[in-house]
Amino acid sequence: MKLEVKDLLPDYFEQERKTTSEIWGKELSFSNGDLVNIVAPSGTGKTSLTHFLYKMRESYTGTILYDGKNLKNCSKEDIAALRKDHVSIILQDMRLFEEQTLLENLEIKRQLNPYHPQERIIEMARALGIDHRLNALAKNCSYGEQQRSVIIRALLQPFDILLMDEPVSHLDDSNSRKAIGLILEEAFKRNAAVIFAELERAAYFPATQLYHL
Amino acid sequence: MAVAFKPIKPLLQTGTSAYSRWFSYIGLGIGVLLLLCSVQMFINIQHLLKEGSIRKDGFDFVSITKNITNETMGQPEKNLFQPQDIEDIKKQPFIAGVSPLLANDFRVQLSAGNIVPFSTDMFLEALDNEFIDTLPSSFQWQEGEQNIPIILSSDFFEIYNIFAPGQGLPQLSKESAMGMPVVITCFGRDNSVNFTGRIVAFSDRVNSVLVPKNFLEWANRTFSNRNRQEASRLFLKLKDVNDPQLIRYLDSKNYVVNKDKTLLGRNKMVLQGIFSGLGIFGLLVVVLALMLFSFYLQLVIARSRESLELLLTLGYSPKWLGKNVSNQFVPVYIFIVLTALLFTQLMQWAFHKFVLFNRPELSTAVSWMVLLLAVLLILMAVVTNARLVKKLLHQLG
Repeated sequence: MKLEVKDLLPDYFEQERKTTSEIWGKELSFSNGDLVNIVAPSGTGKTSLTHFLYKMRESYTGTILYDGKNLKNCSKEDIAALRKDHVSIILQDMRLFEEQTLLENLEIKRQLNPYHPQERIIEMARALGIDHRLNALAKNCSYGEQQRSVIIRALLQPFDILLMDEPVSHLDDSNSRKAIGLILEEAFKRNAAVIFAELERAAYFPATQLYHL
Repeated sequence: MAVAFKPIKPLLQTGTSAYSRWFSYIGLGIGVLLLLCSVQMFINIQHLLKEGSIRKDGFDFVSITKNITNETMGQPEKNLFQPQDIEDIKKQPFIAGVSPLLANDFRVQLSAGNIVPFSTDMFLEALDNEFIDTLPSSFQWQEGEQNIPIILSSDFFEIYNIFAPGQGLPQLSKESAMGMPVVITCFGRDNSVNFTGRIVAFSDRVNSVLVPKNFLEWANRTFSNRNRQEASRLFLKLKDVNDPQLIRYLDSKNYVVNKDKTLLGRNKMVLQGIFSGLGIFGLLVVVLALMLFSFYLQLVIARSRESLELLLTLGYSPKWLGKNVSNQFVPVYIFIVLTALLFTQLMQWAFHKFVLFNRPELSTAVSWMVLLLAVLLILMAVVTNARLVKKLLHQLG
């Protein structure tokens, strides 16, 4: 799948941003196998960009195209299919069903498009060190545990593009490395593009493209 | 593998709104019950009051006149049926035919000749043959004939037999009356002509002395100097004398009709009015209950907003989600309508058995129309519900 952004700028940003940014106001194209690292300090629009690419918000000018199809013209059903089969996301604010256990949260995602069997959830949880917390309610888990669950949730579906907005912000260095390792392993299996927005350049992420937002 | 709704169900928060939910359930049940019962009673009335009037060939016959009031007295043009009145009546959907009763426009005297010393001023009327209930083949007249066949009202004959002894006249059987010739004297402008009249039949339907139409037309031309076209009475051929539409029409035009013949129709009109009112009330209650239900649904969706938004973010289809959320309420709707239908059936059974003692016109089972209405109500509730949920979910995504 090919993702293109053309002359993109949030409505609430001034035009001058286009001159200093390597993303806003530019024409870029990402496709399967690309490992894109977007480095951006706070307030430069990382979360906005991720939300625009996932059609969670539409407050922008410019164009986002998936395989040549304008995201703004996609129906709600088209978007649901895109999110289910082609584009996965790890959001910074995590968003779990708080009254459900971590396992239930993961199953709700997995049943939508069961790319992996249920055993794989346990394997991935073990790899990230949260297998003992799978039956705990999400609201009773720490941010770190929740973040690791959200990473697993994103990896349960098939995808061509994985969007990540500060996916390891609540993890220590060792756990971050493990998490990115798992993400890269799953992305390689699918030959997917990974778009990784972070505050600083991540040393353990072998980026093929680097952009400053 | 189909996506299961079971793990999603706990994410829909019904919360503390159980009261509004139960109120809407009960409201909907009462509304549906009122509606179904009213329709069933409406149908019962139709069946019960279908019969009850003298019919011939599937038609009822009544005669109407205009209501003569103090204001219209002495103004024949107001008390007679004008051609446009007749045209208007003919256009009505419940009218199968109209025939004006033609009256004599000259003086007529009836006497029994030498046999019975009886003589009276009389009137003659003529009507299209198809409106006469007893029509013998002898009821014909050709110009130049002296004999005139007469069809006499059974009521008039009965009255004669009541008053005859007091007048010193003999009482007569129908057979002897039919065998007895009478003298009809028609008085013209300056002459009078005698005809021989003979009763050829008695009519239960027409309260008059009927002669063949062509005779009366000829006689009016011959003995009268006026050329009157209007009739004071009209005979109506009706599909159903108890049709409330007919009664409404006659009342609105201030036409007078034999009340006995339309009494059932008047009762039917009142009863139908009562049950229509009840039905409308039931429908209003159903609409109110559905509105209450929609508020409840909006509340559920508002409370579950975050969960539903997250499901959409995860890639759940809004169509699938909407279908499954609204399907949660389908069994409830079906249960409510079926319960109301069961109560309607019980009511119909009790009404038939204990109120009308198994009258054959009625059925113990509810009408198919009530069943159809129940199905339509379920469909209406389900469709309204599904559309609302779809709309609310689209606002979320």
